[in-house]
Amino acid sequence: MSWEPRIVGFLCSWCSYRGADLAGTSRIPSAPNVKVIKVPCSTRVEPAFVIKAFQSGADGVLILGCHPGDCHYIEGNYKTMRRVPLLKKMLKQFGIEEERVRLDWVSASEGEKYASVVNEMTEKVRELGPFKANNGEGQHGKN
Amino acid sequence: MEPKIGVYVCDCGSNILGKIDVPKVVEYIQSLPTVTIAREYRFMCSGPGQAMIEQDIKEMGLNRVVVASCTPQMHEPTFRRLMQRAGLNPYLFEMANIREHASWITEDPEAATEKAKALVRASVRRVYYQEPLETREVPVHPDTLVVGGGVAGIQAALEIADSGHKVYLVEREPSIGGHMIQLDKTFPTLDCSACILTPKMTLTGSHPFIELMTYSEVTEVSGFIGNFTVKIRKKPRYIDVNECNGCSDCEKVCPVTVPSEFNMKLGTRKATYRPFPQAVPSAYVIDKQGKSPCSFTCPAGVNAHGYVALISQGKFKEAMEVLRRTMPFAGVCGRVCTHPCETECERGKVDQPIAIRALKRFMADYELKNGREKAQPAERTKKDKIAVVGSGPAGLACAYDLVKAGYPVTVFEAASQAGGMLRYGIPEYRLPKQILDDEIEYVKELGVEIKTNTAVTDIDELKKQGYKAVFLANGAWVSQKMNIPGEDAKGVMHAIEFLKQVSEGKKVELGKRVAVVGGGNAAVDAARTALRLGAKEVSIIYRRSRAEMPAIPSEIEEMEEEGVKISYLTNPVEVVAESGKLARVKCIRMELGEPDASGRRRPVPIEGSEFEMEIDTLIMAIGQAVNKSMLPGNIEYSESGTVKADEITFETSVKGVFAGGDVMAGPATVIEAIAAGKEAAISVDRYLQGADMKEGRPEEKERVKDVSKEGVVEKPRATTSKLPVAERIRSFKEVESGLDKEAAIEEANRCLNCAVCCECLLCVSACERNAVKHDMKEEIVEVNVGNILLATGFKEFDPSVMQQYGYGRLDNVVTGLEFERMINSAGPTSGKILLKNGEEPKSVAIIHCVGSRDINHHEYCSAVCCMYSLKFSHLLREHLPGTEVYEFYIDIRAPRKGFEEFYNRILKEGTILYRGRPGEITDVAETPYEEGKLIVKFENTLIGEKERLPVDMVILSSALEPHENARDVARIFNISCGEADFFIERHPKLDPVATMTDGVFIAGCCESPKDIRDSVSQASAAAARILALISKGKVETEATIAEIDEERCSGCRVCNLLCPYGAIDYIEEKKVSRINDAICKGCGACVAACPSAAIKHKHYTTQEIMAQIEGILV
Repeated sequence: MSWEPRIVGFLCSWCSYRGADLAGTSRIPSAPNVKVIKVPCSTRVEPAFVIKAFQSGADGVLILGCHPGDCHYIEGNYKTMRRVPLLKKMLKQFGIEEERVRLDWVSASEGEKYASVVNEMTEKVRELGPFKANNGEGQHGKN
Repeated sequence: MEPKIGVYVCDCGSNILGKIDVPKVVEYIQSLPTVTIAREYRFMCSGPGQAMIEQDIKEMGLNRVVVASCTPQMHEPTFRRLMQRAGLNPYLFEMANIREHASWITEDPEAATEKAKALVRASVRRVYYQEPLETREVPVHPDTLVVGGGVAGIQAALEIADSGHKVYLVEREPSIGGHMIQLDKTFPTLDCSACILTPKMTLTGSHPFIELMTYSEVTEVSGFIGNFTVKIRKKPRYIDVNECNGCSDCEKVCPVTVPSEFNMKLGTRKATYRPFPQAVPSAYVIDKQGKSPCSFTCPAGVNAHGYVALISQGKFKEAMEVLRRTMPFAGVCGRVCTHPCETECERGKVDQPIAIRALKRFMADYELKNGREKAQPAERTKKDKIAVVGSGPAGLACAYDLVKAGYPVTVFEAASQAGGMLRYGIPEYRLPKQILDDEIEYVKELGVEIKTNTAVTDIDELKKQGYKAVFLANGAWVSQKMNIPGEDAKGVMHAIEFLKQVSEGKKVELGKRVAVVGGGNAAVDAARTALRLGAKEVSIIYRRSRAEMPAIPSEIEEMEEEGVKISYLTNPVEVVAESGKLARVKCIRMELGEPDASGRRRPVPIEGSEFEMEIDTLIMAIGQAVNKSMLPGNIEYSESGTVKADEITFETSVKGVFAGGDVMAGPATVIEAIAAGKEAAISVDRYLQGADMKEGRPEEKERVKDVSKEGVVEKPRATTSKLPVAERIRSFKEVESGLDKEAAIEEANRCLNCAVCCECLLCVSACERNAVKHDMKEEIVEVNVGNILLATGFKEFDPSVMQQYGYGRLDNVVTGLEFERMINSAGPTSGKILLKNGEEPKSVAIIHCVGSRDINHHEYCSAVCCMYSLKFSHLLREHLPGTEVYEFYIDIRAPRKGFEEFYNRILKEGTILYRGRPGEITDVAETPYEEGKLIVKFENTLIGEKERLPVDMVILSSALEPHENARDVARIFNISCGEADFFIERHPKLDPVATMTDGVFIAGCCESPKDIRDSVSQASAAAARILALISKGKVETEATIAEIDEERCSGCRVCNLLCPYGAIDYIEEKKVSRINDAICKGCGACVAACPSAAIKHKHYTTQEIMAQIEGILV
C-alpha cells in the first residue's frame, strides 16, 4: 500500500470535537488521515503528546481548539496559542518542519471548516512526505 | 486487578455498517492481547444491545468496556449508566467514535474500516489505564435567573415562580414585554397581542417570587450549575421605581422629544418617558446618555443643551433659570463668549452648529425687554464672611456661587464701576453697558455687596475685618512693552488704557493715522474703537500671519469690513519721534520659522527688509500682565508673573486665599474666567467647611458617545443681522442684533438632543412625589442562582442594506414591525394606515423573505414572515376595505396548527399572491399610470414573465436576526453561537432548550426564529428542566479534575498563575501547591505545564493519552 500521511488530531471537547461531530452528522467528507483524540481543552495538550505522536509514527499533528475568546475554560486556548509556537520553534531545532504541527480554531458550528482543515493538513503533510524519523526500516506501517 | 476488556462495535443499522466492515474490525480487535471479548451488534444502544454487554460483564467478569459507535456526546451517559447497573465504575468505560468521525465522513470504505480499527484500538489501549473515579454531589441553589423579559422570559419566570421558587428576571429595556408587546394582532387566531400579554406582564410585575430588574444587564457570570454567581448592572433610571406612580407629570414638562424606539421611530417620545402605557413596571425612566457635547465642553459647565431645549419649547423663563443655575451672564456671554460649545456641536457634522451663543443672548434680551423680575435674595445660611477682590467675570462668578451657597460675600473693586474687563476692556459696540449693568444688578439683588473705588492690597487687613476667605480676581491690567527705541514717545499708547478711557467716557486724543500692534482681541477692539473715534486710517501690525491670529475670527472679519487694514508678518523695530512726538514707525518684515512653545510658528525677521510707516498714533496691544503693586506682598508668583495657585483648587501660597481668572492664568476668555471663579467658589466653601478641597475634582463628566443623525434634514443655521458698515463706524451702537422669538425657537429646534436628557430639571419640580433623582448612579448587584435561562430574543433585520428595495430612501416602504406599530390603535398613527402624504393607501404590496432565505443575508427561513404577512393582508382589508393587497412569496410555509387554514382564508378574502422575489422597488414611472407610485419589479415565476406592479405602499417582511451582541452574551454565559449567531442548543432534536453549559438553558428566538407559541413552549420546557434540577436539589460535580501529587510537587507555583479559576493554592508550610477540587473545572492547563509531572488529570492522565496516541498509530 502506498504511503498515506498519518495525523493525530487533538480536539478540544467543547468546540472542535463537536465541530468534527457536526461534519459527521452533516456528512461532509474529508480525508481519513486525521484520527482524533478528545481532550477537555486544547490547553491540555502537553508538548510531550506531540513528540510522542511523532515518536509513535505520526507524520503530522493537528491541534484544534475553540476560537479565541470562546474558550469554555475562559482562556485555555490563549495558553495553547502561546505554547504551540514555542513547541514549533523547538521542533524546528530538531529539523522537524513547522508545518507538521498545526494549531487552528474550529467552533461547534464549523463542520465545514473542520473538513477543510483536515483536508488541508492532509495535503500539506502529503507534500512534506513521511516524517523522516519514521522513514527508517520497518519501524512502522505494520498495519 | 488485571484489566479484562470487552469491546462492542455497533452497526448503527447501516449508519456504520454501510461504510465500515464491522465484522473485520471486530475480528481485528478480538486479536488484540488485552481484549477478552469483541462483539458486533445492530444497535448497541438498544435494550438487547445493552443487555448483551451487561451479561458479558457478569458472566465473563469484564472490568472495562469499550463501545465503538456514535459520538460520546450522544450515548456516553447511556453506557456509563449501564456500567453502574452492572456494578462497574462508569469511568472504566470508553467510547470510540466510528460513526461521526469515520463512517459518515470517509468516502472510501476500506479507509473508513482502517480508521475505525485505529480508533477502537486506541480506545482499547486507553481504557486499559483508566481508573475508577468518584463524583461528589453539591446542592442546587433554588433561585433562578431569567434573562430577557419577552414572552418567553415572562412565561418561564411565571412558571418557575408559581412553584414557589424565586426568579430574577433581568430585562435591558425599561419595560418587559419584548417584541410581542409591539405586535398588533397575532396569527392565525388574530388575538390582540397586547390583550393576551399584558395580564402576564402585570402578573410578572407583581409576583411575590419574581424580582424584576428592568433597565439592567448581566455583566458577569461565574460558578457552575447549581451555584452561579451573577453580576447585574442596573442602569440608573433617574426615577425611583418605588416612588413613581406613572402620573406622567414629568413627561408633560420635558422639553426634549426624540424618536420612540417602541414605535419603530414612527412616533416620538420625551427624554422622560415610558415606552408604552401598559409598561411593567409602570415607572418612568429618563434617557440620559451622558453630557451633550455643548454642556460637556463649556469650561464653566453651563448647561447649554438645557436652555436650548427649553427655548425650543418657548420656555424662555425656565431657560434663563437653567443658565442662572451656573452663572449670571447670559447677556454678556451671549455676546462675547468664544463659544467652544458651538465648535463641538454635533449638528455641525450635519450642516452647521446650533447658534448657541445667539440663543443665549436671545433669552437674556427677551427677559430684559419684557421686564426682568427682581431676583430673590439668596438665603443666608452661613456666617463666614468672604471677600472677593475684583469684579470682573471671575470675581462675580465666584461671588455669585458663594452667595447662593448662603455666604455673606463682599466684592472689592478698585475702579469706579463693577465689571472689570467686561466693562473697561470690551467696547460698547460689542457689549452694551446696559446689558452688563443689569447682570451685575442681578448679582447684587441676590445679596452680593460690591464696594467700588476700593482697592485691596492688604489681606491681613481684610482678615482683621472678619473675612474668613479671600478670592483674588484682580485681572491683568498692565500692558506689556515692546522694548524698542522711542516707545515712550507721545502718541504711543497702550490698548488696555486706551479702551478703559474710552469706556469711562474720557476724551482720548487720536491722530488721523492709527496703527495697532498685536493680533489679539485687544488689538482688534482698539483698532475698531479708534475707527469709531474718527481716525481716518487704522491699520494693524501683526508679526505672524492670519492663521496665527488669536483674535476671534468673526471680529477680525468685521474689522476688515469696517476698513481696517492688516499688515501681516510685520513688526515694529523703532518708534521715530520728531520733536518728542511720534512721526513714523520703523518696521521689519518677518517670516515664519519653527513652531514655538505656543505651537504657533515663530516669526523671524528678514534682514534688510526694514521700512517705515507714517503714523500719528501707535497703540500697543501685545499682551497684558498682572499689576503686582495691586496685590498683597506675601503672595507667590509663577514663572510667567501671574499669581501662583493650585490648578484644581485655585488656592494660593497663602492659606485661605484663592486666585483665579487673568490674575492667575494670564489673559484669557470670559468663560474661562467664569470657570475659574466657580471652581474657586467650590474650594472656598470646602475650605470654610473644613472639607477636603481636592476630593472628586476635577469633576468627572461623561460625554455622550454616539449621536444618531438618522433622518436629520439639513436646515441652515439662524443668522443674525449686523449694522451696515457706514453706520457702524460712526457710533458705538451694537454691531450685531439678536434673534427674534420665532427665529430663536426655530433655531433651538435644530438641536439634535445629543445626550437626550437635557438636565433642565423641570421634571424634578413637576414631580409631586419627589421620585425624580438626577444623581442616581449605576448599581452592580450580585445574585446567586442555581440555574440560568436565556430568552434574549431577536431583532428585526434592517432592510436598508438591500438597496434594491429602497427602504430608508423611498417613502412608504416600511418593515413588518413598523407596520405593526402603524396599524396598532395605540401606535403613532392611532391605528391609521397612512402614507407619508397623509392619505390612505389604495394598494399595498407585501414582500416575503426580506433578508431571509437569501444567501446574501440570512440563509435561514425566519419562520414567521409568511404568516405575519398573510395577517397583514387580512388587517389591511379590515382597516381599509377595498384595498388591493398583493403578496410576493417564494414558498408559503404554513406548517403549524391553523396556519394552512389561515392561508386559505386569506386567499378567499381576495389577496393576490405572486410567486417570485421582487428584484427591485422603484419610483421611476414608465407609464402615466405608474406616476407617483412605488413600482414592484418582479418575475412571476408561475408563468415565467417579468412584470411591473405599481402600488402605494410596500411592506417588507423582514427577517428575524440575532441581537448584535449575541456573541458577547454567549461569552458571558459560556455558551456558543452558531454561524448565524443564534445560541446553540445541546442537541438539535433531543435537547433543544439546554446548552453545552450545564445549568444554562435557552428559549425563544435567541435559539432560532420561531413564533410566539413555540417560544412559549420552549420557555415552559426550560422551566420544567430547571424545576427538575431545583426539585432534585443536588448535582454531581466534575470527577475529571486535576490533582497534585504533593510528593512530586517542587512548589514552583507555575500552576498557581495558570489556573483560570484560582483553584490552586500554595501551601506555605508544606511548600507545595494544592488544588481545590470544588473549584477545579478540569481544563488541564496546569497539568500540561507542570515541569515535575506532579499533576494528574483524572480521566485524561498522561498515561491514558499516551496509550491512546500509540493505539492510534501502531
